[in-house]
Amino acid sequence: MRLEIDWTRCDGHGLCARLLPELISLDEHGFPVFTDRRVDQQLARHARRAVAVCPRLALRLEQTSPSHPVR
Amino acid sequence: MTATIGDAEAAVPTAWGTARLLAGTRAGRLDLARHRDVHDVPRRSERGSLADALDAVGLLGRGGAAFPVATKLLGTRAGSGTYVVVNGSEGEPASHKDRALMRLAPHLVLDGALAVARSLRTRKVDLVVQDRAAHASLAAAVRERRDARGVRLVHHDHGFVGGEVRAVTRALSGGPALPPGRRVLPTVHGVDGRPTFASNVETFAQIALLLSLGVDEYAGVGAADEPGTTLLTLLGDVPHPGVVEVPTGLPLSALVGERPGPVLVGGYHGTWLADPGELTVSRPTLRSAGAPLNAGVLARLPHDTCALGEVATVAHWLADQSVGQCGPCFFGLPALAITLDQLAVGRVATEAARQRARLLVGRGACAHPDGAAAFVASALTVLDREIAVHRRHGHCGRPLLGVLPTGGGPVTR
Repeated sequence: MRLEIDWTRCDGHGLCARLLPELISLDEHGFPVFTDRRVDQQLARHARRAVAVCPRLALRLEQTSPSHPVR
Repeated sequence: MTATIGDAEAAVPTAWGTARLLAGTRAGRLDLARHRDVHDVPRRSERGSLADALDAVGLLGRGGAAFPVATKLLGTRAGSGTYVVVNGSEGEPASHKDRALMRLAPHLVLDGALAVARSLRTRKVDLVVQDRAAHASLAAAVRERRDARGVRLVHHDHGFVGGEVRAVTRALSGGPALPPGRRVLPTVHGVDGRPTFASNVETFAQIALLLSLGVDEYAGVGAADEPGTTLLTLLGDVPHPGVVEVPTGLPLSALVGERPGPVLVGGYHGTWLADPGELTVSRPTLRSAGAPLNAGVLARLPHDTCALGEVATVAHWLADQSVGQCGPCFFGLPALAITLDQLAVGRVATEAARQRARLLVGRGACAHPDGAAAFVASALTVLDREIAVHRRHGHCGRPLLGVLPTGGGPVTR
């Protein structure tokens, strides 16, 4: 799976970085910085929680398929 | 000699070698009668055969993304509900080639747009223009011909980011002129949610040329990897500032001068190179050299201006262009511009600016933060000696001449 974000929705609440510090940190203005967009099985549960708590519904998880290669 | 954009605009657009887009325009705008004296009527073409011809000459979009036009055409569903959008918004103050083309050869643009529309079996053509003179030229052209009744001419004054193709299709659908937050393809979900073939004005003029000349003649000049001609805006300390039409494949040094020293390729979302080197000007060649041509702006700074100040001025302009949708751009671009100001007075190190530029990459709904980051990061590399002088003395002793134009409007500093 892969984390996707709608930057036009994100207001920098920062909950995602609290719940998924393994993949997300915050810049000085409070907006997420992804260290890795790919989510492995181990982190899937945490990633889903991070997506679920985003107050702006900006964060989402997308299935990656071989036809949609991960960059 | 120091050239400014005033000179670039005042200079008559000139063709070097083969004049195609600019053929017959030395005496000014081509009305329909003069246009037909110069250009044959484009051959009628089905979508499949037009795509084959586009593929044979490898035509790439001339707005900036350089997307293969044949692929785009084949990816657009044909039908009466399909839209053709001609993007003439040209929101980059360094670029003048689109307005030059629309002012001088409006019928060539219309020929191409109508041919594409026919191939997609639609009459819906939207022409989006910011420049007043270009708008007037196209309005007169639409009135002059009977086959342009389906053409809607729209004045679109929504800045640089507002001229991005998805922002344009949104505005044409009655929405805000803002890039959408989710990935949408105009070919699938464009104007009014309909399939939409959208491209830059020069792309359409090139399509008209291809259909009147045929593949062999069209490809008779230019580079093997991108045959034909291209429009460029040459800016700053170059031998012939202004809009030019040149065959592709010319040495970069022939266009910007042979002297060593930094060259800006691709305008304000472009890349600074340390010197022109052995590069030739075609989109595929420049892209693989890491310096995409984008909308065709090539610039050089004269020795008597503060180069770092010029870059900082453009960075402030880029920051002002943020439409405020995405936090990393809205906050990150001004922070980057201010860091460049601090660099110019010797208060921070280059790495601070570099870090801010890196933080912009891939963090927006459109390519604006990425383009701005490329412009600044490459400038930091080629201006290392200037930056060292600024670090030591707090200035370089040269005035800021404003060679890189920022539209004359107020730029927050």
